[in-house]
Amino acid sequence: VIEALRTVLDPELGMSLIELGLVYAIDITEGTVRVTMTLTAAGCPIHDAMLEWVRGAVGRVPGVGEVDVRLTFEPPWTPDRIGADPAAAIARSS
Amino acid sequence: MLARGPRGGLTPPPTLPLRYMLAAVGGLILASLGTAWLAPDLAGHYYQPRLVALTHTVTLGWATLTIAGATYQLVPVVLERPIWSERLARWIWGALVTGIVGMVGHFYLGSWAGLVWAAGLTALGGALHILNVALSMRGLPAWTFTARMIALALVGLGLTILFGLSLALDRIWKFLPGEFFPTLHAHFHLALLGWISPMVMGVAARVYPMFLLAPDPGGWPGALQIWGLGLGVPALALGLTAFPPLLLPGAAGILAALGGHLRWVSAMAADRRRPKLDWGLRFVLTGTGLALPAAGLGAGFALDLAAGPRLALAYAVLALGGWVSLTIAGMLLKIVPFLVWYRAYGPRAGRAPVPTLAELSDPALEAAAYAFLTAGVAALATAVTVGEAVWIRVAAIVLAAGAVALALALSRVLRHLATPRPGRAAATPAGASA
Repeated sequence: VIEALRTVLDPELGMSLIELGLVYAIDITEGTVRVTMTLTAAGCPIHDAMLEWVRGAVGRVPGVGEVDVRLTFEPPWTPDRIGADPAAAIARSS
Repeated sequence: MLARGPRGGLTPPPTLPLRYMLAAVGGLILASLGTAWLAPDLAGHYYQPRLVALTHTVTLGWATLTIAGATYQLVPVVLERPIWSERLARWIWGALVTGIVGMVGHFYLGSWAGLVWAAGLTALGGALHILNVALSMRGLPAWTFTARMIALALVGLGLTILFGLSLALDRIWKFLPGEFFPTLHAHFHLALLGWISPMVMGVAARVYPMFLLAPDPGGWPGALQIWGLGLGVPALALGLTAFPPLLLPGAAGILAALGGHLRWVSAMAADRRRPKLDWGLRFVLTGTGLALPAAGLGAGFALDLAAGPRLALAYAVLALGGWVSLTIAGMLLKIVPFLVWYRAYGPRAGRAPVPTLAELSDPALEAAAYAFLTAGVAALATAVTVGEAVWIRVAAIVLAAGAVALALALSRVLRHLATPRPGRAAATPAGASA
């Protein structure tokens, strides 16, 4: 799932959601994946599109049935999250 | 706790801001060519009908149209409020473009009677823009720094329009008390410092951190900007027109505001996590740097250390051509590719290979625009100070080359609207590259 999320890029920055540290949590329950993520700005105009891209990317991972993408702005994203360890997202959800 | 995200569909169709921006680029090219054409006039006094036409091509045709268009894109993004009426925004575009063309034409011809309808139409467009944005900002959940600066700018735009209309009508009916030039100077400074500056500073605080990947700015520089402009601009206008003792405190407030802005931008640039600056950001940072010599000259005028039409022209070139124009050019290089990408590739992203924003741009053309525009501004400021028509024309031709390069760079981006192309970056395992 993390590798799939690495393919979803912020079009302006050219960096993936994982590199930017936008993914806060990944919960995997059998075939269902719940991704809790944020955006670099609350009013980001690609808000809807980005969620769709995440659904598409994760949905293509073998074995994944349902993808639930949740958006949160708590805590708000800061540049300090760039390069955050993606494994922490999974650890948090378990 | 999961927060409810912003509502989808807040932003207007990309064609709305784009129409303002494309008209504005036309204004920039016209202004730079006009500068070359009017070089002999620019070697003399700045108050001549044809130079007033040139000034309004820059302030209205270039700066105001870009800022108005960007507002319709940025208010939904940075304030999370939908535009009150997108249809009205399209009518405003028509009124502004028609009015500005009429104003510039009548100024150029020195036809004051004909100027009235054009100025009236422009004023109507400006007033409707104020109404549309003000109604868009109703019920804001939080009056952030950016929201307050946009509100300040709307007040500044209203006062600029009022002063401008009064000056135009005074050419026919002679009703304004006091001398003409102080009122003219107040009109210019209301436009520059009351309308354009708070928009630049307000948007910078919200957008530069996004582009630079820098922490959001905060602290005392924000208060300096709000109070410095909020008190300084009215004090300066009153000091110029009615009560001279207010001139120096007004100038001090404005310099404090600029100091706060420079502090924030330099901190964001220093703390950025974005590894490499693109040409848009280089434009923005260079423009911010040119605010310093402009502020120095402005302070010189306020303190009576500088005087005369040549230094006044250099001041206008550095402030409008340097700080404002380079900042606007940089923002265009950030906003236009996004608008085009969103329209051309947004619906296909995640389903098919699409390019990144950087792949839409032509770095060579953007570099040429940067080189010619920055060199042109520096050369023009020097040439008008010297007052040599030949050098003014040479500098203006360099400036025009930059304006054309900027237009070509943007047209390369716009081509993607007509002929979208597959992107290289999407050859990924999941095929979901954005």
